[in-house]
Amino acid sequence: MVLFMAGLGCCVLGVVAATVISLERRVIVVTLVGSVGCLLTFTAASQVLVSGRAESFHSSLVLPLAGINLTLDPLGALFVAMTSFVGVATLVYCVGYARGELRSRSALSLLLVFLMSLLVVPAASSVVTLLFFWELMALSSMLLIMVEQRRRVETRVAAQWYGAMTQLGAASILLGLLLLSTKGGQTFGDIRSHVAALSPTLRSFAFVLTLIGFASKAGAVPFHVWLPKAHPEAPSPVSALMSSAMVAMGVYGIVRVGNDLLGGGTLWWWIIVVALGVVSALFGALHAVTSVDLKRLLAYSTIDILGLVLIGVGCSGALAASGHPRTAHLALIGALLLVVSHAAFKGCLFLGVGAIERATGSRSLDHLGGLIRRIPITTALFVVGALSIVAVPAFSGFTSEWLLLQGLLHGFVGKSSPTLIMLLVGVVALALTGGLTAVAFVKVIGIGFLGQARSTAAASAHEVPRTMQIGMGILCIPCVVLGVAPGIVIPLLNRAIQTGHSSSVSRPVETGIGLSLVHLRGTIEPMLLLAGFVVIVAVIAGANSIRRRPARKVEAWRGGGDRPTARMQYTATSYAEPLQRVFADVLRPEIDVEVTHAVESHYYEQSLSYESRVGDAIERLAYQPAIRAVTRVGLAARRIQNGSVHRYLAFGFIALLIILVVLA
Amino acid sequence: MTDIGSSLGYGFIASLTQVVLVAIGGPLLMGLMAKVRTRAEGRVGAPIYQPLRDLRKLMAKEGLRARYSSVVLAAAPLVVLGSTTLAVAISPLVTTHPLLSASSDLFVIVYLLLTGSITMALAGLDTGTAFGGMGSSRAITIGALAEPALLVAVIALSIQARTSNLPTIVADTITHPVWTSTPTRLLALVALVIVVIAETGRLPVDNPNTHLELTMIHEAMTLEYAGSDLGLITLGAAMRLGLLFTLLVNLFVPWGVATGSSVLGLLAAVVFLVLKTSLLAVVVSLIEVHSAKLRLFRVPELLAGGFVLAVLAVITELVTR
Amino acid sequence: MSTSFYIGALELATGAVLVCAVMTLWRRQVRTIVTMLRLQGVALACVAGVLAWHEHDLGLAITALLVLAVKGVLVPWLLRRVIRRDPRSRETAPLINVPASLVSAAFLIVVSYVVTSKLTALAPSAATRLVPIGVATVLVGYFMLVTRRRAVSQIVGLLLVDNGIALVTFLLTAGVPLIVELGSTLDVLLVVVVLQVLVVNTGARHGSFDLDEMRELHD
Repeated sequence: MVLFMAGLGCCVLGVVAATVISLERRVIVVTLVGSVGCLLTFTAASQVLVSGRAESFHSSLVLPLAGINLTLDPLGALFVAMTSFVGVATLVYCVGYARGELRSRSALSLLLVFLMSLLVVPAASSVVTLLFFWELMALSSMLLIMVEQRRRVETRVAAQWYGAMTQLGAASILLGLLLLSTKGGQTFGDIRSHVAALSPTLRSFAFVLTLIGFASKAGAVPFHVWLPKAHPEAPSPVSALMSSAMVAMGVYGIVRVGNDLLGGGTLWWWIIVVALGVVSALFGALHAVTSVDLKRLLAYSTIDILGLVLIGVGCSGALAASGHPRTAHLALIGALLLVVSHAAFKGCLFLGVGAIERATGSRSLDHLGGLIRRIPITTALFVVGALSIVAVPAFSGFTSEWLLLQGLLHGFVGKSSPTLIMLLVGVVALALTGGLTAVAFVKVIGIGFLGQARSTAAASAHEVPRTMQIGMGILCIPCVVLGVAPGIVIPLLNRAIQTGHSSSVSRPVETGIGLSLVHLRGTIEPMLLLAGFVVIVAVIAGANSIRRRPARKVEAWRGGGDRPTARMQYTATSYAEPLQRVFADVLRPEIDVEVTHAVESHYYEQSLSYESRVGDAIERLAYQPAIRAVTRVGLAARRIQNGSVHRYLAFGFIALLIILVVLA
Repeated sequence: MTDIGSSLGYGFIASLTQVVLVAIGGPLLMGLMAKVRTRAEGRVGAPIYQPLRDLRKLMAKEGLRARYSSVVLAAAPLVVLGSTTLAVAISPLVTTHPLLSASSDLFVIVYLLLTGSITMALAGLDTGTAFGGMGSSRAITIGALAEPALLVAVIALSIQARTSNLPTIVADTITHPVWTSTPTRLLALVALVIVVIAETGRLPVDNPNTHLELTMIHEAMTLEYAGSDLGLITLGAAMRLGLLFTLLVNLFVPWGVATGSSVLGLLAAVVFLVLKTSLLAVVVSLIEVHSAKLRLFRVPELLAGGFVLAVLAVITELVTR
Repeated sequence: MSTSFYIGALELATGAVLVCAVMTLWRRQVRTIVTMLRLQGVALACVAGVLAWHEHDLGLAITALLVLAVKGVLVPWLLRRVIRRDPRSRETAPLINVPASLVSAAFLIVVSYVVTSKLTALAPSAATRLVPIGVATVLVGYFMLVTRRRAVSQIVGLLLVDNGIALVTFLLTAGVPLIVELGSTLDVLLVVVVLQVLVVNTGARHGSFDLDEMRELHD
């Protein structure tokens, strides 16, 4: 615990340094101090994961109401380790990226406050601590989104949406946790020991309320509307932290409350979780395919992957509730490994988009192209992240999806039909989103990096500072290592999921040179696959280059026409158009066609303008009417305040009368 | 130690046999299907080994690179051929103990094939032309819609066999022949046939003999390739066809696959495999002869039908257990 | 007849009934849809036949022959008159497009499985386990009735509902008494004859029979 507290102390020191040190050295010092803090917390978390023993800290001094309670157990340590790792990479990236507003005192200190709260939330072991740092996390991230608000109007709107929805979520979590702490105290230990005394209805209410709050933070549809607005508007390092670590806190909350505090729960809770996951995965994948803005695409892809994680968590809970602990653990391990690899590859991708923005000044795919020749190193690092998310074998995305699929597959031996249906729906959702994610990221790599440059900005792109590349590179390491040698982390995950389960099933996955399932039939050895692939490609390349002249560069085939211009290439919109057409009923694109006819005759057209937008259907159909209704009610309520002092006094008088009557 | 050594040696020989067989047999299959088609049309047609001659011609020609292309265009043939060869080496085609049989998982094979498709799509976009983008967009749309049907059909088979390890599924099917006539297997078979037709670019999804760029799907991505690169890509496509066909026959009619570790069994397995796959190729070719190419926007209907049949397969498995 | 052969044949025949129902949603050619209906009638007769052989029930065997005659031969023949007016007609613009209807069919099949699993758990046997497939056929038929424009498709939807109900009765109770079966078959036959006459005459008078264009039934 000492190391962990020392790490947090370093972050506080960094906040102080950010306010004190002058402009030239501010970023470097803050980064240094912050990275040291993250390394300390990473070491502390790894110690807990390796030894399997939890460590605690309690003090009634730091927080007002009930003091601060911290407990670093293996489940929380997993998330702390993940966050620290992403934090180090992001801070290193900031050294090269920070420019203008991001170098100000407020921005850098807020960044460290955000990081610190992300580190404390998984270690919190009382309701007050958790909520305090949850709110701190939300507020600091909202302010960080607004760092560049002077330049774009959308930033302010995004921050409003984010603030409103995160507050609603926090209120929901508060209510739920309060319901749980009615019997005993408010520390997690008290809640755990008194949970059996609560009525089942109360427990269900608490679970649903906390689920709404945590699922909203994790970007589950239909509570996701803030994510595609907020993540793009934040500066790239903040987006990376939000998309990798903050959304994982939503998953952490669900696992902590559902599995640990409430001890497993009943089947229908997890049905709701799986339903949320399925809808999120499909919705996110479809919108990622049709997005043109790079950051918006990545935000929807986050919704997609977190949907898959929720499917895993939900199916795991359902399997545990219907009496199959081994497959439940297997599914949960797959889900947690997916969360960890998502943090790595999504962080890498967001940092990469920041690099692209810095190099070309644009983040719209239709203005990029040909970047592989101008900024090869950034391209290579970005491609590693993209290959991982598409689940190419020997990358971490594939290994986590394989584990998740095995968990779902082997769960089909049960007899409880709701569980079987959930597993079936989960498997179908996984299958559908796999192909769509591949399309989305082939679009990103192919149109963003390959071919000819579609704008002068892209044609004159220059390589980004070395520290930005190092930051991305740090996050590429887990993408490869977790895929090729998952045996390193699987024992740690085994220990992380033991928290809260009193069953004696300990290790559903054995690790040797690969992974093999215990008592079930299923194995993979990604390292050997990669070795085999490398050998085969070497043999083919060698055989191919014997007595061969180097290839000649020629003009591309253009059907006998003129020299191909960059405008003749496919754009991001046209690339995804077939899929947009197939799923038009779900996406509901808005299409506007404006025709200006020629003066001479109505049959000839002078100009034609076509505009197509794929908006967020849930926002249009559910949220906008709700906002309009609330606005109407608010406007109507203004009539209460008509300025008459008599009316205000009358309100107070009537309220007093009512209270007296009720008390009597 | 000698046990591991001999089993490793046997696995290596078996996998090598499979790779060589599919590398030669894939083009021969394409030639056979072309021959059946031309015969059905009343012509004589080219000999069955014509694709092999074409490959030999291509390997001797000079390679070309498009002006705006990058390392992706140069590396794509290697990656496509490499991933397909790896999938062939670890699949249970002539034996149930190939090399790396512990990693020979249905999902590994599916995602290896997906890697090949993704690489081809990227190579299409790398050319910087409209045709490449068009082929890439269409091919990946079809791939994205065939993926769900493929995965769910594979999952149906895995649920029935209680594992997703391919050699184990084949070995268990040999010892439980009654599995091959269950509705689950039959529905999964139909779904997989639809997926294989889509993934290998045969009619009614794509016409492999078209010369009009606007009707191309797979060929549009390879328009910029010439010489040995085109040879590698064509060989990769032929091996993909061979792999998918042989996997299809081995999953549904696995008798003939060597289960022991004798070289004689291996040779017999090769003969059986050639016979079974040729039969499947003739059947698919006859389907091709009798169908017209679907409009691109009707292909999702076909693939959705395959998807529903695969879901039906899973539900039937749940219901009839 | 050995048990495993009986179970296998029953499963195959029942599966064929549902697959034919899904194929009617998939294909656009009206002639193919009616062919699928005919195949479904044959498969239904096979189910009844297999059950009759296993239970050694003569009444059920006669029912099987009746089903074959009526659903496999007579009804498709009656529908021929409707098709003959426009032999190449296709379902070009259903209210829900084809991929979406197929996905909805998958969803309906899942729903039927969930809904009937409690029912089949009451008396588990090889035949009652397959009841969800019959319920699924009913739902798919109803779906077709709701979302298709062509008259023939809607008649086929109605007949799918009837076939599904018949399948469920066969599986659950090894058939109803012959007289009841005769009565319900005559009912369906009457409905088909009336519908067929109606469609042909309306089509001859107004040129087409699109239910969506007939909105007179309101206040």
